[in-house]
Amino acid sequence: MSSHSQAAPLGSLRPLGVGILGAGPVTQAIHLPSLARLRNILQVRHIMDVDATVAESVAARVGANHSTSMDALLGDPEVDIVAICSPHQFHADQVIAACRAGKKAVLCEKPFAMSGEEAARISAVSEETGVPIIVGAMHTFDPGWLAAEANWGDLPETAHTIRSSIVLPPNARFEDFATEIITRPAGGAPDYSDVETIKTALRGGIMGLAIHDLPLVRRFTPDFEDLEILQARHVRPFGYVISLRAGKQGAGERIIELRAAMNKTWKPEWVFEAISDDAALRVDFTPSYVQAGSAVTTITRGSTSTTYGPFEHNGYEGEWRELAKLALGTKQPPSAESLINDLTFAIAIADATVDLAAAEHANSHAGAHS
Amino acid sequence: MSSQYTVTATPQAEESGAVGLAVASLPESFGPASEATPTLIPQISAIDGAPGWTTEAIKAIDGGALGVVVVNPVPENTAALRDAAETAGVAVVLDQRWASNPGLAGAEDAVRSVAGRAAMLDTVATATAGTDPERLLTEHLAAVVRVTGQLDALRVLRRGTHGYTVSGRLPNGAPVSLQGVLSNSRPAGVDLRLYTDDGGVSIAVPEPLAAWPAEVRATGPQGEILLPTLYESAHRTTWRRLKEDLDAGTFPSDLAGFARLTESIAHLS
Repeated sequence: MSSHSQAAPLGSLRPLGVGILGAGPVTQAIHLPSLARLRNILQVRHIMDVDATVAESVAARVGANHSTSMDALLGDPEVDIVAICSPHQFHADQVIAACRAGKKAVLCEKPFAMSGEEAARISAVSEETGVPIIVGAMHTFDPGWLAAEANWGDLPETAHTIRSSIVLPPNARFEDFATEIITRPAGGAPDYSDVETIKTALRGGIMGLAIHDLPLVRRFTPDFEDLEILQARHVRPFGYVISLRAGKQGAGERIIELRAAMNKTWKPEWVFEAISDDAALRVDFTPSYVQAGSAVTTITRGSTSTTYGPFEHNGYEGEWRELAKLALGTKQPPSAESLINDLTFAIAIADATVDLAAAEHANSHAGAHS
Repeated sequence: MSSQYTVTATPQAEESGAVGLAVASLPESFGPASEATPTLIPQISAIDGAPGWTTEAIKAIDGGALGVVVVNPVPENTAALRDAAETAGVAVVLDQRWASNPGLAGAEDAVRSVAGRAAMLDTVATATAGTDPERLLTEHLAAVVRVTGQLDALRVLRRGTHGYTVSGRLPNGAPVSLQGVLSNSRPAGVDLRLYTDDGGVSIAVPEPLAAWPAEVRATGPQGEILLPTLYESAHRTTWRRLKEDLDAGTFPSDLAGFARLTESIAHLS
């Protein structure tokens, strides 16, 4: 979010120290394997979790210190970069505390706040302390996406249709390919006849799943603050069908279609598309958790298609590489405005989705699906 | 040995339905009227499905045709045509852009065997920029209901120069979304994905311009099966179907099915 004065070539110094707040499945199955591929530049030195047994066990895997308090991790001089992988509601306060602790860079898992006010507070502290922050929107760091960005020409200005379609097996399927998980959140048996269940599921779908691709959607949505929700429907057991219109009719109008289904399938599909009259972008992302390389991007103009990728690493590794550069001062951080806009875009969609779903649920007598 | 039927086609039908090519690919069954029997009334008439097609089809029946092929029909009241066809014993078949693809027969079985466990149906039709979205929606919906059966609560959420979004429900209540996209940079065709609790069915239906096969994949816990690919265009399939009906003396159900489609389109809010 702000510039950093230190500058040193990547990989020329002792690896930067990483501290991780929260040692759940994302830390175990995503961040530690990603960091294992980057030992020459980053080293995990401190793991914090409220469960002392989990903290100790996960820390032991990487030879790091462990604790059960944020203050202990932030007070550890071996920690240069803080990764915040705790439950969403703690993100804002922990980001601010990490900045005030004088760390060199902060990675916050998405979403980095749950309201615009929290985002503004974070931005102000980042500006004041000079600590750069990035949000773990891993697809924005995926080499396949970066290749798309470098080659899509005027598509962000001309696209009229944007689609994000996510079909995933339960997280456990890929977590178990990535590591040996020691803790998992307990599952439940939701009551779909309860509108609050539907509202919670849809908000969770937007802020926990769609949010991976909403920064991508926003790149193609110039009038992202002018949103109209056309449909918002829950998909069992976890997913959504959401249609939106952004911007005024004419060149600025965008149709946004968001689809997601998480079920017991073994077959993942994670596709982002942006389409204009004369060009189309398609990005096929690899599933999270496994180190399956980058997305593959295809850009078509008329009947000619060009494919980029796959490249060797995914967006998670990409974001850690970026963090190392930020901590060393060899790269400028993303603008605070961009991160805040990504967040407010997601919150606006989540709010509108929940409101519409609640209204439709109230009008429905069937109660089978909202 | 079965008989060969003589065929005539309007210029519009020839262009939209590639009638000459389809007929030439079934040389034992059909032949062009002008070359084979110039003095006799053509036995099969091929007409384009532009507005007024039911009137043109009735004229063909009144003129003595034994069979009528209608290429890409637009929604229209088919009651009078059905009466005329039944009275005269004429087979009327519809050559629909995507719904007539031969791969959809297998797709129908695959979809219906898991429909009770459906969690979501998401389908996208693509056509070139400038295509009439109303016509695209008709062709799209025809292909979808061919494999799913009738859909409930169909509602247009938006439509415009770039396409449309239509919502609906499967019989078990699962959400349905039909999207039309107009672009010159995506292959024209229909993509349909039915997701269940443990897999689903995906269907990609190509244009009938060539004998590209539809790809139908059924995914379940044991893996994924690609149904046999059928390298036959929707046009040729339609003509082959007509021949079977003519030889067997049976009446195709195309008009009855199209009446249901027309009704669905008419009730779209």
